[in-house]
Amino acid sequence: MSKEEIITRLAQSVIDGEPEDAVELAKQALDEGLDPLVCINQGLTAGINRVGELFASGEYFLPDLIIGGEAMKAALAVLEPALAGDQERQILGRVVLGTVRGDLHEIGKTLVGTMLTANGFLVTDIGIDKPAADFVSAAREANATLIGASALLTTTMPEQQKIVEELKEAGLRDQVRVMIGGAPITQGWADKIGADGYAEDAISAVALAKQLVGVPV
Amino acid sequence: MPGLEPIRPQLKLEVLNPDELASIKAATLHVLEQVGIHVPSERALRVFAERGAQVDRESQIVRLPPGLVMDAMNLAPRSYQLCGRAAGTELALDGTASYFCTDGCGVYALDFETGQQRASCKDDVAKMARVSDYLSSIAFYWPMVSAQDHAWTAPLHELDASFNNTVKHVQTETVMGEKAARYAVRMAEVIAGDAADMRARPPLSSLICTIAPLGQDRQGIEAGMVFAEAGIPVGFMSMPNMGLTAPVATGGALAAASAEVVSAMVLMQLVAPGAPTFYSIVASVMDPHSANYINAIAEKYLCHVAGVQIAHDWGVPVLGGAFGAQNLEAATWQHGRDSVYNSLMVPLAGADIVVGLGLLRASTLLVPEQIIFDDEIYHTCRILARGIDTSDDGLALDVIAEVGPRGHYLAQRNTRQHLRSWWFPELSHPQRPMHESAPPDIRRRARAKLDKILREHQTQPLDDAATAELQAILEAAERELDA
Repeated sequence: MSKEEIITRLAQSVIDGEPEDAVELAKQALDEGLDPLVCINQGLTAGINRVGELFASGEYFLPDLIIGGEAMKAALAVLEPALAGDQERQILGRVVLGTVRGDLHEIGKTLVGTMLTANGFLVTDIGIDKPAADFVSAAREANATLIGASALLTTTMPEQQKIVEELKEAGLRDQVRVMIGGAPITQGWADKIGADGYAEDAISAVALAKQLVGVPV
Repeated sequence: MPGLEPIRPQLKLEVLNPDELASIKAATLHVLEQVGIHVPSERALRVFAERGAQVDRESQIVRLPPGLVMDAMNLAPRSYQLCGRAAGTELALDGTASYFCTDGCGVYALDFETGQQRASCKDDVAKMARVSDYLSSIAFYWPMVSAQDHAWTAPLHELDASFNNTVKHVQTETVMGEKAARYAVRMAEVIAGDAADMRARPPLSSLICTIAPLGQDRQGIEAGMVFAEAGIPVGFMSMPNMGLTAPVATGGALAAASAEVVSAMVLMQLVAPGAPTFYSIVASVMDPHSANYINAIAEKYLCHVAGVQIAHDWGVPVLGGAFGAQNLEAATWQHGRDSVYNSLMVPLAGADIVVGLGLLRASTLLVPEQIIFDDEIYHTCRILARGIDTSDDGLALDVIAEVGPRGHYLAQRNTRQHLRSWWFPELSHPQRPMHESAPPDIRRRARAKLDKILREHQTQPLDDAATAELQAILEAAERELDA
């Protein structure tokens, strides 16, 4: 297989949502001496961009997006450790993501994480039932510019406000933007608590995140 | 052309048990023998008389002995196929599927451009044939409206517009009279290639209405005899208005309606033994104040299902009735209510073919986007009739185990694979690709889909020779019939 063919097939494995193929091709690429950064940019990123186009046109469904994202993630796990010291994958931003304290809802938050990852963000998922302080400390450690906080219950919504307040107390509010989501959440709530944005679903969350980090949507 | 998606019901609906079916058959035979049928056709009277029926020439009443009826009906095939002019359009009337067609034959249309009501025309027939060529819900095409821009040859122009704009089977419900029928047969021969191919793969069939109570239409049965002899499948539909043209009680209405239909089918078998024929009852109830036809009432739905069972009890295919809503506007509560009962009940009863999608105001008005609404109801019924998948693939135990407690199914290949084959109700639940929002008004969404089909779908054209032959037949018919 030629180098061009490996890269094309790497992209196709993401488009087809075949994580096993993606990993095999990534290993093969390294064995053949391909530049891992080229493999990421011209293979995986090209592939995930195509998945995004197919989703935007209505041809692909959410599972296609997620499985495509998983294929990309699996191949990245092979290729990233092989990057040279001065090489770094281009990312749109670093995001800390989690579900607030008292709330065990996970699927929506995970879906947002998958979508953000697939669209070029580096996501640190801190999990569910997390107090505001955990979001803030994780953002500091990851050098994140975005926090995504999910709340699915009316009773846990005030936890999102606490995150905004604790960021202020920690002196990080200017560096870190806060986006919130969850079934009972509205733009009005985001405005009220001083969050930077609200997204209705995982697709809108990507658009919002891009907007918040200043990338054209 | 997207592939056909007939309804293949796993769920079954019956409103008559075997004893009740036997009662209706006995009552039908009684009516045929004792009361008789008005048959105002010299040719038909001669055929009946020659074969042992009691014929009163003066009153034109024919009384049929039960033996004659049973022998003739036993010649009528239970299964045969209707065909279009392309591969994949064959409809096997064998009890395994319900194939739906468009409604007909309206006389008004809301203009495609202005939206104003006007008399229907040939171009309406052509446009809707092209839309029907695209929709997977439409297995065969009834010319939806009358080609009123043509005179006595309008029914033949409707066929011309249909054959030129859909590869699917065409069923005429307007070609009446011996002469017009002969021209229609010639047109069908052109589409099929020759007379032998037309018999083997008929691209045309015909539906003819009886006249309730207990009468035949001369032009109708004389056309029917021409079709039967040529091998064109021909069906008869009784449309009794209970309380006015049939007993108000459902049992009697069905027995009388059945006598009309069966007498015509017997005639077809007498002139062309083994001819492919079908049966149809579309009964309803009289408005007790105006004597008008109530289009959506419970007794009608019951009779539709009963008609399907009675036909199969006689051992013949059946055309069921569905849709054809009374209301004046698309996308209303009334439209949904009127359409859903029979469009689900009739296929669950096992109707082989079913009319029909796309008209309003009791099948008189073409509202172009109406067919898109009916298409969505149709597919909903199609999925409902399929029932629950309890196969290994349907139970998906391996996937349940893989996801486990508290996980999700979005990242499963099984989910992706199944979603690809799912049908989604795009009108009532518009899918929303990124950066694009669907029009909020459902009628605008339906219209947008219709316009897209008209803009983008091209029917596989007839070859030039066939188009020219059809034109020559039309010109000959105009010289003879319009004169």
